[in-house]
Amino acid sequence: MRALRVDPADSTPIWSQIEEGIRRLVASRALAPGAAVPSVRDLARELSINPATVAKAYQRLADSGVLTVRRGEGTYVSDTPPALPRGERARVLKDGATRYASLAVTVGAGADEASHELQSAWKQFRDGAKGEKR
Amino acid sequence: MSTPQETAVSLEGLTVRYGKSTACEDVSLSIARGAVYALLGRNGAGKSSLVRCLLGQQKPSAGRALLFGRGVWSERTALMARVGVVPEEPDAPPAMNALQLSDFCRRLYPRWNQKEVEDRLARFGVSVRNSFGRLSKGEKGEVMLALALGHGPELLVLDDPTLGLDLVARKALYEDLVGELADRGTTVLITTHDLSGIEGIATRVGILKEGRLVLDEDAETLKSRFRRIRYGNQITETRSAYGTELDAFEAVKVKVRGWGVDAVVSNYNDLSFERFRSTDGVVDAEVAPMSLEEIFLAVAGESSAEKAAETPIAKGGPR
Repeated sequence: MRALRVDPADSTPIWSQIEEGIRRLVASRALAPGAAVPSVRDLARELSINPATVAKAYQRLADSGVLTVRRGEGTYVSDTPPALPRGERARVLKDGATRYASLAVTVGAGADEASHELQSAWKQFRDGAKGEKR
Repeated sequence: MSTPQETAVSLEGLTVRYGKSTACEDVSLSIARGAVYALLGRNGAGKSSLVRCLLGQQKPSAGRALLFGRGVWSERTALMARVGVVPEEPDAPPAMNALQLSDFCRRLYPRWNQKEVEDRLARFGVSVRNSFGRLSKGEKGEVMLALALGHGPELLVLDDPTLGLDLVARKALYEDLVGELADRGTTVLITTHDLSGIEGIATRVGILKEGRLVLDEDAETLKSRFRRIRYGNQITETRSAYGTELDAFEAVKVKVRGWGVDAVVSNYNDLSFERFRSTDGVVDAEVAPMSLEEIFLAVAGESSAEKAAETPIAKGGPR
């Protein structure tokens, strides 16, 4: 999975970067429903990280139905990977927004400046997701 | 094929009594397939009784234990074929070596993978020709682990295991193991009071305290809501009489030290902390994340008897 990168310097935990990364790849269809994903051990080797970290991300993705583990076969993107349920999505967005707002206040940024940064980050992600498509 | 709804383990109101004393009181939990569940508790918290019920070795006084949706007590034989266990006290005929033990197990399980057992022992660096009785405690645990995985179990139970020679070796062993088992879709249940090596591998954590399950939560959610907050208090005259500034938090544990207040809170968020640090009289407020071990000590560290002996300062419990 060349499109998946982790940044050890990022303050987001690595398992979370992997989880989010795969969610994005699945959401953007760069990883199609039913597609095989690398084994935990292969991905850990490829990214030079601890297998337990990858296992944690995979477990969370399996729990929420994004990935399916077929015993003795491997791990796949689910045939019908779910979007986050509405309530959950709202909660996640709100959490993230609160953290971002708190950060903005801490560094003394105004609401306009903060929204502007959000807009450009948004754009960057959009373009990034397109680039990941095969 | 596993679906997200499938559970490997569920306990429903499990209660174990010995005469008048209660080892487990109304414990309910479920472990999703593929999870790495760490069940933590101090000695005597009820872990062993719980595991015995789970493995069909003991009938609960009330409630029941299910594996893969089936009752353990009534279908023990069929279910145990799908489970690998590393027991608390590694026990095997002392004169037999690991190869002989493996050969013995092979006759019991149709799907025994002899090569895998031998490869694993070689990776652990355990001599397969030394008799079991002459191995160190860590090596005995490793032989037990290799044997427990020989039949490709769907659930691996590590009952207070002693694995690896030291913390670094144990951590590496757990990390590799968890990666491998995740690829196989194997669920793991670890019971322990010793968190060295568990940090970072458990996906879900349960804490047993005096027979009750006081906490059962996703490991990351747990770590995100617990924080240690340290601060000075310039308003309160007597050090032990600090008060309302912590009200925005659920304080699990509060200690007054020479330099100020040291509190563990269980509902941390950045906004409340920003408000807290600007409260009148609060100075030098610092916040630090906590390891699983620190959280465990804060939640299960003191028995209720020990706590009663202390000044009753903690507001609210862990939940």
